[in-house]
Amino acid sequence: MPESTIPLSGRTIHHPLPPRDSQGMPTHREPALRTIGLRKAFGDHKAVDDIHLTVPAGSFYGLVGPNGAGKTTTLAMAVGLLRPDAGSAEIFGVDVWRDTVRAKGLIGVLPDGNAMPERLTGREVLTYLGLLRGMPPAVVAERTDELLQVLELDSAERTLVIEYSTGMRKKIGLAVALLHAPRLLVLDEPFEAVDPVSAATIKTILRRFAANGGSVIISSHVMALVEQLCDHVGVISDGRVVAAGPLADVRGAGTLEDAFVGLVGARTGGTEGLAWLTS
Amino acid sequence: MAHLLTPGPTALAQHMIRMRLAVMRNSLRGDQATNLYTGVSLGLILAFGTIAVAVLWPAYLPITLAVWLSGWIFGPIFIGGGNEALRPEYFSMLPARPGRIAPALLAGAFAGPAPAVNLLALLSLPVYGWRFGPAGVLIGLAAALTTLVTMVMISRVIVALIGLFVRSRATAAAVGIVTGTAIALCSNGWAPVAAMGATDTAAWSEILVRVLPSGWGVAAIEASWPLALAILAANAGVIVLLLAAWAGLLARRVVSAARGGVPPRRGTPRPFPGAGGARIAAARELRAWWRDLVRIQLLATAFSYAIVTPLLLLALDIWVMVPFTGLIAIVMAAASSANLYGADGTALWLTLMIPGAERADVRGRQRAWLLVVGPAAVILSLIGTLVSGQTWAWPWVLGLLPALLGGGAGIIVLLAVTSLVPGTDPHKRGGNPLSTGADESAETSLAWLVLLAVPATALPAAGAILLHPWAGIATGVLTGALCAWGFGRIAYRRLENHGIDLLNLMKHGPAPQPDKPTTADLPIPHRIGVTISYLIAWLPLFPQGVVPMVMKIIGIDDRGWFLALHLPPVWQWPTVIFMIALGLLMYGYAILLPMRLNSPSSAETR
Repeated sequence: MPESTIPLSGRTIHHPLPPRDSQGMPTHREPALRTIGLRKAFGDHKAVDDIHLTVPAGSFYGLVGPNGAGKTTTLAMAVGLLRPDAGSAEIFGVDVWRDTVRAKGLIGVLPDGNAMPERLTGREVLTYLGLLRGMPPAVVAERTDELLQVLELDSAERTLVIEYSTGMRKKIGLAVALLHAPRLLVLDEPFEAVDPVSAATIKTILRRFAANGGSVIISSHVMALVEQLCDHVGVISDGRVVAAGPLADVRGAGTLEDAFVGLVGARTGGTEGLAWLTS
Repeated sequence: MAHLLTPGPTALAQHMIRMRLAVMRNSLRGDQATNLYTGVSLGLILAFGTIAVAVLWPAYLPITLAVWLSGWIFGPIFIGGGNEALRPEYFSMLPARPGRIAPALLAGAFAGPAPAVNLLALLSLPVYGWRFGPAGVLIGLAAALTTLVTMVMISRVIVALIGLFVRSRATAAAVGIVTGTAIALCSNGWAPVAAMGATDTAAWSEILVRVLPSGWGVAAIEASWPLALAILAANAGVIVLLLAAWAGLLARRVVSAARGGVPPRRGTPRPFPGAGGARIAAARELRAWWRDLVRIQLLATAFSYAIVTPLLLLALDIWVMVPFTGLIAIVMAAASSANLYGADGTALWLTLMIPGAERADVRGRQRAWLLVVGPAAVILSLIGTLVSGQTWAWPWVLGLLPALLGGGAGIIVLLAVTSLVPGTDPHKRGGNPLSTGADESAETSLAWLVLLAVPATALPAAGAILLHPWAGIATGVLTGALCAWGFGRIAYRRLENHGIDLLNLMKHGPAPQPDKPTTADLPIPHRIGVTISYLIAWLPLFPQGVVPMVMKIIGIDDRGWFLALHLPPVWQWPTVIFMIALGLLMYGYAILLPMRLNSPSSAETR
């Protein structure tokens, strides 16, 4: 098992059985997501290098970092879509790689750039996935109706997903993630290529979800958006966590953008050269 | 100051050629390099073979060149749109008319291995011209060039036509029917030719192969000086026309939106059945069969091949194959469905994120495949057997039918999860609605694997029929059910345990695994050998080995193209055994050699 190979560098990490409620489900006292020493290399390139993250239950967590920092890879390993080279991930105390089935029952995921069942309409996708999850047909039909209506996808009743625009694909992906009422939403770049009106809709839905006790993780490189939505932030750069915690602690006195540029040690370019561009 | 001028035609063409060569250089890694080397080696063998034909059997040169032409016509259809290294979409924003871009793109298209190999083959024309003196050589050289350009242009125009006009189920099915008929003609086209040969139409066929664009060179060489020049000039005119047509098609293609081949004009979709598990997965899969033009085309190919092959043999009054039409259709349909998971791309993540959905997905795909292929195959089998009047065939048809259906349903899902060939995600596919973006040669070898494996699952039933005609039916039903159930079980178990690896294979391509044997790690001569073995080992094993063996056992007196049956009786069995041994040896070499060379000791040197 990859877990046993992690050098824990002097720290002891306890794995007590998570507290359960009356139905045997873990309670909210466990963090919504905890990753312990996640590592992944693609060839010689270390995409993710020893990432420890804790997302408290009930938080709205923003994972930020420059392009290629390892956000998508981290999230894919955290939800069980990519096997880590080392390390482990727990969702509400359930180990994603040991108890995959139970962990997957707790989360709704919107991965970046993955295909959907392309030759179904939006309604068919939701119906199909709901029934495949074993939800009662009546519940599936009711939720599908509501989701399509709220996400304004109900007008595209005859359009196959393959013909959807990028924004529509994000929205149907979000509907898929919400359909089974998960306790944790993991959304990779949910606002990329989404128009402002749809983005406002999605934000409202996510805020409601969090306000009702759900936990949300979004990845983004739009700092203003993360500042606006999230109460916790993790900053990743070059496959490592460079800062993590409540938003106020991470950004300090300035804006998140300033803190971010300082943290990842970036130099803002674009001022030199290109003289010929001014005709 | 904005730069408004595009380079002149020659410079533009030079840039395209450099770009094409750069693309080729960058893609010469791993498996693609193997495929290229193998393809070039095979092509060179065929090219030298063509020159040999011009020297030794000059009468057959026109028909040999016609085969090259058919390769240019059907190659792009088989492999889903042809290898467009430079796609016209890349240049749609260049400020130049399509008439300017098209010749440059064409120049780029020539900077590849296939035209070079074909030019070598066309050098058979000056070789043939030698018989007619120095003038013949000269005309032959000119004709070699014009013929090459014509062939490549025809190929491009066909690709462009498919890309533009295959937008509906009917056109996709039409392409499939043409393809299936072409494969059938390639494998059994000798039958009608032989039948016509009996009625002295040799002269007619000689004219035909000279009228085809591939035969114009031969016609020019054989003609008088003025006529030869006229033919060459006409050929040049045809090239100009093709170029104009191609430029027009490109211009339309670039400005027309095509997304992954979705048939138009749908009504409100039928609601899903209110069920769960395999039934709901089958319902989704059935919709995919109906809404995906690639699948429709592949099915049409399978069924038209199955129907045309026996019909061709009827020209010689051979009815033996007619009862087996449905069975051929099953095997062909299985071969074209072998990359089920690869065709859906990364949509697999949804199945993986739903606890326990892997089993439902595999079983659903099996059910849907059986529903799509089964009824038609059963009807074809019953009608074929009834119409042909071959009563001896009933136990064979009834026994093998369930065995093959079950075997097919099992093998396709098993191979789909064990030998997945990654393609482009459906929503990211480009202008050609019939292309999945997968590595065509890998998909082809997967199809061959199915063509071997599915009939193999019916061997117990065949054995039982030889013992007792009706025992075969029970055996067939039993092995069919066992295969569908068992292979499906292995498939979903594997999907449960290795689904993520499949997903990441589709997302990021194959991961380097030192302990897994891959052809890419072999020395190049062995790589070529392995790929060629995979490609042609079936030839001695099945048509020249197992089939004549079966025909000898059941006593069918039809020699066909089975070498063994044309030999004196003493040599027939040794030949059959030699052929089977040869085929097995080639498969053994192709499968075992990579494993041996990739043993841990040699893997460390990577």
